[in-house]
Amino acid sequence: MEGAFRKVDIDIYDEDVLQETELYAADSRDPAAVLDDAKQRQTAVRSLLAKNDIPGALSVILDDAPYGPNVEEAKVITLQTLLTILNTTKATEITGVIKSLSLDTQDTLMKYLYKGMAMPGWGDVSGSVLLGWHEKLTEVAGVGCIVRTMTDRRAV
Amino acid sequence: MSNVLRPYLAAVRSTLTAALTLEDFASQVVERHNKPEVESATSKEVLLNPLTISRNENERVLIEPSINSIRLSIKIKQADEIERILCNKFTRFMMQRAESFIVLRRKPVAGYDISFLITNTHTETMLKHKIVDFIIQFMEEVDKEISEMKLSLNARARIVAESYLTALQS
Amino acid sequence: MPEIFNLSQTPITSHAFNADRSQLVVSLNSNDAQIYTRKGAEWVHTVTLSEHDKLITSVDWAPNSNRIVTASQDRNAYVWQEQVDAETGKLVWKPTLVLLRINRAATYVKWSPKEDKFAVASGARAIAICSFDPENNWWVSKLLKKPIRSTVLSLDWHPNNVLLAAGSADMKARVFSAYIKEVDDRPAPTVWGSKLPFNTVCGEYSSPAGGWVHAVGFSPSGDALAFASHDSSISIAYPNGPLINIRLPSLPFVSLVWTSENALVAAGHDCRPVVFAGSEAGWQEAGTLDDVNAPKSPEARSGLGSHGSVGRLNTGAFAAFRNADTRGQSGSASAHVDSKPLTTHQNTITNVRAYDYSAEGVSKVSTSGVDGLLVIWDVDSVTALTGRLGGAHLR
Repeated sequence: MEGAFRKVDIDIYDEDVLQETELYAADSRDPAAVLDDAKQRQTAVRSLLAKNDIPGALSVILDDAPYGPNVEEAKVITLQTLLTILNTTKATEITGVIKSLSLDTQDTLMKYLYKGMAMPGWGDVSGSVLLGWHEKLTEVAGVGCIVRTMTDRRAV
Repeated sequence: MSNVLRPYLAAVRSTLTAALTLEDFASQVVERHNKPEVESATSKEVLLNPLTISRNENERVLIEPSINSIRLSIKIKQADEIERILCNKFTRFMMQRAESFIVLRRKPVAGYDISFLITNTHTETMLKHKIVDFIIQFMEEVDKEISEMKLSLNARARIVAESYLTALQS
Repeated sequence: MPEIFNLSQTPITSHAFNADRSQLVVSLNSNDAQIYTRKGAEWVHTVTLSEHDKLITSVDWAPNSNRIVTASQDRNAYVWQEQVDAETGKLVWKPTLVLLRINRAATYVKWSPKEDKFAVASGARAIAICSFDPENNWWVSKLLKKPIRSTVLSLDWHPNNVLLAAGSADMKARVFSAYIKEVDDRPAPTVWGSKLPFNTVCGEYSSPAGGWVHAVGFSPSGDALAFASHDSSISIAYPNGPLINIRLPSLPFVSLVWTSENALVAAGHDCRPVVFAGSEAGWQEAGTLDDVNAPKSPEARSGLGSHGSVGRLNTGAFAAFRNADTRGQSGSASAHVDSKPLTTHQNTITNVRAYDYSAEGVSKVSTSGVDGLLVIWDVDSVTALTGRLGGAHLR
């Protein structure tokens, strides 16, 4: 909270207040297992990329993507892997690739695009690539997909 | 220039359209009050995930949505010292006159140059797509404005120097 | 063709019709509720109901007992009844205060099917179930509290007059028992349960991507519950069957109404009513009632003939080149210089209600919007959705 005049936040003592953790169902998977899983997917994606199977690679990395607290490392690996896929895809192929994804995958992809844009200059993040994907994804999945990125508390 | 900018503005436009889904919402913390939830931030469940759209580190937009208000903050491109000064003066000039701009916030959010606060009252009294158009137009204009000011500032400096030095010549 | 009425320049927060649809009560985003009477092809303002001192959030008109209830952000609700005034001998609307016992805004109000109770949703994390106490001649309330964690945004009654569905900002749609001993007969068992004391939670649902639940509605039989949430989705819950979730490419809905056991109409931020159809086996979008391609007004068509001076050269392509030349805009940018949604409603639709209904189902629905329009639609004239982004998104 901004402003030094309020030294004590009394609202945290209100029992009725909803906490962040109560707003979504927590990930039941173990953080270590999630991390292992993310690493395995990274390898799987590499071999799929070698075969130039981009829709397959996207589905592998985005289905049941890690969310919630305690899995930061797995999230970072997932983001890195995803960025490799996005950066290697030719601009002309993007629309076709997006159309072949399921609705769930499209929603998760949108979340990662915003996550990438929120950290410009990090790793392989390239603003123009992400914006290109964002534009094509909005064309296919509509603004509803952006609304879901806003409402879904299962942050990636 | 406009072709490089287009995907960026398109992303801001679609995100803003998605965020401008506001309704009247009375405070559930303070009796008989009705305030922008994104500013008071007292009930977590009525705030949504903030989204960032960026071209690079120096040009980005942050959209913080909530049930009855959204806050949109812009980081304007500042390549050198002159642009930084011009941008600072320009945004200050406007923020001091925030009430004439209706949706402008008096103070930018930390890390950004200028912020807008759009509440449900604004979306009720104005057409929603026109508000979106206004923000996009503002973003288009502000870059143009600052580079124009920079050009005229340089031109002016050159003329001043020239006329000063011609005086020495004779 | 839909019937379009421009009631005001201000938003219409909520609207409700009387039994024969000759009168209409609306809240025009103010502290007063207005009654309009149908005179031929127009609605004429006749009565102002003023008692509240904050924004009226919701109105409802009980068709058989001809009573209006209004709820407001001043934490009160009033029941209005038409009575003969002792002094003038004219019919006037008399308010009765309801003892709501809530300390935050009242957000939504709905008469029960038998009209002997009504429910008031509130920001006090509670729903007040109000019934008439003839001994004291006032409306008393009983609060449904657990397990609501945030402002309740919408309500709907089950046809058996006992069960109540509520959608709230804590991302849940719930089904409660609002059984009041003094008023209700013992309800027959339903799919939602058989033993139903007050405040029993018979069901709790949420959409996978979360989002505040803006609208809830029981199907005509009461065996299914539909809700619209802020993640741009519609969910239909069958208590002993599946929870069907339909994601939309457009903006979220804020209001919905069932038109038959297998169809419903929803509307909201996308500015047009959308029809969904299906059954327990599956649901899908059937189309929209607002045919955006039908010619409505000349200015909706862009490009041709907007500037007379250039004559026949003035085609879309010419305009694009001229914009590129004089204003430095590329072709795609010029299209949104003066964008106007193609939909009938120019802003968010706040409320959808059944307008013309019989035992078989609803044949017409009415919508009111932030743009001050009231539109009556024919439920059967469905056209397929064309642009996936709809009227709310123009470039």
